[in-house]
Amino acid sequence: MREFKSKAFWRAVLAELVGMTLFIFLSITTAIGNSNNTAPDQEVKVALAFGLAIATLAQSLGHISGAHLNPAVTLGMLVSCQISAFKALMYIVAQMLGSALASGIVYGVRPDGNAALGVNALSGVTPGQGVGIELLATFQLVLCVIAVTDKRRRDVTGSAPLAIGLSVCLGHLAAASAVSALAGRTSKPLINAFNQITGNEAEKKTTLDQSLRGVLGDQIVEQKASCDEYLALIYISIEAVTEGICSATTPFLLLGDVLDCLPLDQCDKIFSFVEENVSTWKSSTFYSAGKNYLLRMCNDLLRRLSKSQNTVFCGRIQLFLARLFPLSEKSGLNLQSQFNLENITVFNKNEQESTLGQKHTEEKEDGMEVEEGEMGEEEVPATCSIPIDYNLYRKFWTLQDYFRNPLQCYEKFSWMTFLKYSDETLAVFKSFKLDDMQASKRKLEELRTSAGEHVYFAKFLTSEKLMDLQLSDSNFRRHILLQYLILFQYLKGQVKFKSSNCILNDDQTAWIEETTKLVHQLLKEIPPEGEKFSAMVEHILNTEENWNGWKNEGCPSFVKERVVDDKPKRPVRKRQAPEDFLGKGPDRKLFMGNDELTRLWNLHADNMEACKSDDREFMPSLDEFFAEAIEQADPTNMVEDEYKVVRNSNYGWRALRLLSRRSPHFFQPTNQKFKSLADYLDSMVSKLAKELPKDIPSEEIKTGEEDDDDNGDNLLKESNDSPSMQSKMVSNQQMDDVAAKLGAKWKTLAGQLEMKASELREIETDSEDVDMQAKLLLVAWQDREGTQATVENLVSALNAASFTQIADNLSEA
Amino acid sequence: MARCVETASPILMHHLLHMSVFSQSFSPCGKFLAAGNNYGEIALFSLSAALGPDANELSQKPILTFTAHEGPVFSLLSTDSHLLSAGNGEISAWSWAELIKKCLCALPPSLRSSLEIPEINAMALNPADNSLAVGGGDNNVHIMDLENGAFKSVLQGHTDYIHCLSVRERASEVLSGGEDGAVRIWDTRTSQCVHCVEVYKYETCARPQHGKWISCLTTDSDWMLCGGGPSLSLWHLRSMSPTSVFPLSGCQRQATFYQDMILTVGEGQCVSHCLMGGEVKAQIPCTPHSINTLAINTNSTEHRVLTVGGSSDHIDVFTNLSYKAFSLRF
Repeated sequence: MREFKSKAFWRAVLAELVGMTLFIFLSITTAIGNSNNTAPDQEVKVALAFGLAIATLAQSLGHISGAHLNPAVTLGMLVSCQISAFKALMYIVAQMLGSALASGIVYGVRPDGNAALGVNALSGVTPGQGVGIELLATFQLVLCVIAVTDKRRRDVTGSAPLAIGLSVCLGHLAAASAVSALAGRTSKPLINAFNQITGNEAEKKTTLDQSLRGVLGDQIVEQKASCDEYLALIYISIEAVTEGICSATTPFLLLGDVLDCLPLDQCDKIFSFVEENVSTWKSSTFYSAGKNYLLRMCNDLLRRLSKSQNTVFCGRIQLFLARLFPLSEKSGLNLQSQFNLENITVFNKNEQESTLGQKHTEEKEDGMEVEEGEMGEEEVPATCSIPIDYNLYRKFWTLQDYFRNPLQCYEKFSWMTFLKYSDETLAVFKSFKLDDMQASKRKLEELRTSAGEHVYFAKFLTSEKLMDLQLSDSNFRRHILLQYLILFQYLKGQVKFKSSNCILNDDQTAWIEETTKLVHQLLKEIPPEGEKFSAMVEHILNTEENWNGWKNEGCPSFVKERVVDDKPKRPVRKRQAPEDFLGKGPDRKLFMGNDELTRLWNLHADNMEACKSDDREFMPSLDEFFAEAIEQADPTNMVEDEYKVVRNSNYGWRALRLLSRRSPHFFQPTNQKFKSLADYLDSMVSKLAKELPKDIPSEEIKTGEEDDDDNGDNLLKESNDSPSMQSKMVSNQQMDDVAAKLGAKWKTLAGQLEMKASELREIETDSEDVDMQAKLLLVAWQDREGTQATVENLVSALNAASFTQIADNLSEA
Repeated sequence: MARCVETASPILMHHLLHMSVFSQSFSPCGKFLAAGNNYGEIALFSLSAALGPDANELSQKPILTFTAHEGPVFSLLSTDSHLLSAGNGEISAWSWAELIKKCLCALPPSLRSSLEIPEINAMALNPADNSLAVGGGDNNVHIMDLENGAFKSVLQGHTDYIHCLSVRERASEVLSGGEDGAVRIWDTRTSQCVHCVEVYKYETCARPQHGKWISCLTTDSDWMLCGGGPSLSLWHLRSMSPTSVFPLSGCQRQATFYQDMILTVGEGQCVSHCLMGGEVKAQIPCTPHSINTLAINTNSTEHRVLTVGGSSDHIDVFTNLSYKAFSLRF
């Protein structure tokens, strides 16, 4: 008890606590740190981490507490009388506290989805075996610790802590590998063995395939192995396939075998494994070899499952298939649009076997047993207590046969029956309005919570006694009406595999149209939320139409291939080629569709060039614009500041714009500070005033950058300006000359001058003389064109009419 | 119908075309339905055959048709053993047992009592004292004791002929409605008029354009349904006030309480389902354009059907109240 008061004792306990915390933290973090490790790597890593952590901590804390860091070691020390019982107790308490603390820390910093914190679990060994392994591993550790720290020994060279650490490492390696021999899932030994055996590659593969199946078969027959072991075997086979030592179909065969032989609850587990490995199955090695096996396997499973009970599992299988196969996969498709003709709805057709109340109970029971075997849930009532409308009953259920096999509708006689029965049934639906269940809100709430939204019945119950209830059931009615809509969609739709004689005549089409409307109307009337239901059904059927179209086109893939095109395609011309709308004549007159537009467009041969002409230059020159300002700026003129044009903001804005375009001063940096625009303009005006008297043409005051453009402009101007006569109006003298020369040939020119036939007739009636007529033509043209009646236009028209001689004379004049 | 047209003579066709069914009554066993038409004929239909699984066209035809009266059969009533039919001024009683056996030869009515009443529009059975109330063209209600066939009393008060009668069992009262627009409530013990409700005087149910006559009358302890010229209305008998008025356009000829609903027929090709609150819940289409009579077979659960007859030779049968299943035909 003396040591209880000593400082060294508590230091040692504290060191043990800290050491344990660090040790557990380091080692568990390593163990759970990375989920991607496969088994053998993980083992080595964990073992090393444990070992190194122990070595480090023993080195750092060994001198304080001895760094036991393990209750087993403390116990060993106690047994070998190296520490007191009380100290051992306190050490163990400290170790436990430390490890709990560390676990807490790791729990806080762990990655997502790992709640177990690397807790050891037995896999593949019995608990007894586990105890043995742990016993030996711990024994070698404690032995090592005691041996190394034995003070009497002189032969211990090297680091004692490292030795202990390595011992821990060894223990972990041994124990862990012993535990997970099979669970380790390694195929290394197989590969080695495979490589050692000599022989044909294919033969060896077959042998391995066979032996794997054999092993699995034995396991299944023994019925001792758990799902994990089957999966381990399958895992090995997968690895063997990737290593190329067994054929690619083996994993699928094994899976198939397992699923065929196991009860459904275990199949669930196996299937989870299948689901997890979708990426494996989709890899190129497995996909082509295994897709058919997987499909068959899934179908087998689906066949075993109950559609109404195992909905979740069925859904998982469907989802898996959807993930496995591309969207356009055809194997699950009813390609030929065949009907499930086996789905016969049985009902009481036979009058003798029906269940009328008058008849004796014996007869009745016989009838029920034979006819309605599928009605498991319905107990057989002893007496028939309600009147039954057998007429409707039979007609109603006969209709199911048409829904089962719509092709019957194309036969004339059965169509008539269908028509009659349908009309009667729908009349009943129309007459028998359903009550709104939403009468009370409370009831609605109850419905929502208890019954659930989803109503499903795999097969219709066809007892005649249920008829009345069925008629008043909104879900049942929706089912029937939906069947109608689906049938009509088939009858109307284009289906590839419908034979050519399956065509509706006009009466049938009309009836279907009408009935579709009625059915939708009835759907809308069915509470609750009939309108919504009807709209939804319509939408779904439209979507179905798209699928139908897709099937008709032979199920093209949905993945669009990127068009690989080496040569860049010529851009598709969106507009008409100029040749299409350009005039064909020699003057290339364009026809704009409207006389006025045509005239405007054809003022110049090249409108772009025309825009560049001087006439189109509206920008005033500097001297013109600033003349007034300069004048006013002259102090001799005595103009008051406030009346100067520069004070006008409008003028100022325009002046700035002009300066920016025309004056180099605008861009020259200045150190003067101007308070207002007017001040700035004043200074600019004074500068301009200095320059302008030198009579520098404003166009030449240009910044360097604009020079190139200017040259081009000047050239253009020269070319445009040269034929000065062309803008001249045609004089009367010229017209007389031309008319005289034209004479009788004036009509040729008239075409080029775009004279109307009516005008020509007018000219002809006005005068007998051809010269006079020609003169009249020219006058009429001049009247119409007005200012555009220039010599140039007349010359071009004359040229077009191939009077080049006259044209030349005219231009020379 | 097509078959009938082909085979029937023009006279028969004419006969069928102008036929109206005025009254119907179920047999005590509930398996048969008797219906009377405007030619004084009574037809007997077998419901069990028509409702049977092997029903065909033939089972929807009457098993027996006989002429009972000169004029139209306005009222039919079943007692435990007899079918009572009221014709022009006379009431006949036919034994159900014999009718079912189709003994046409032995058919002379077992009881025939001649009254000096021009036409008998309504009969009502009061099981409390085994008496029959009869009303018709002489503006009076006659009470006849069925034990001995003697008339016990005459209830006088209506100013025009009587359309309908109803017995309020609990209070041993008889209600009568007539052309004069009044519903009179009589105490059978004192033969006095206890109340007189002139329905057309109440603004909520008055319809002057249709007249003031009362053509249908039904009671259910504290409640009374009456209609005709005035709108069909539900009355609380203790307070003698209309509680709900049903928004039905035509004049109603017959109404009845059924479960928590009111079924009513009249002008218009439909059976109306009304709620006590005054809403019309549904109108179920049927064959005749105008309906005179409606009956629910409560005598037998397996044949619990609603039958409806009117201005047609068809009697519509409803197995489920919400749609017409088939028609019986004269």
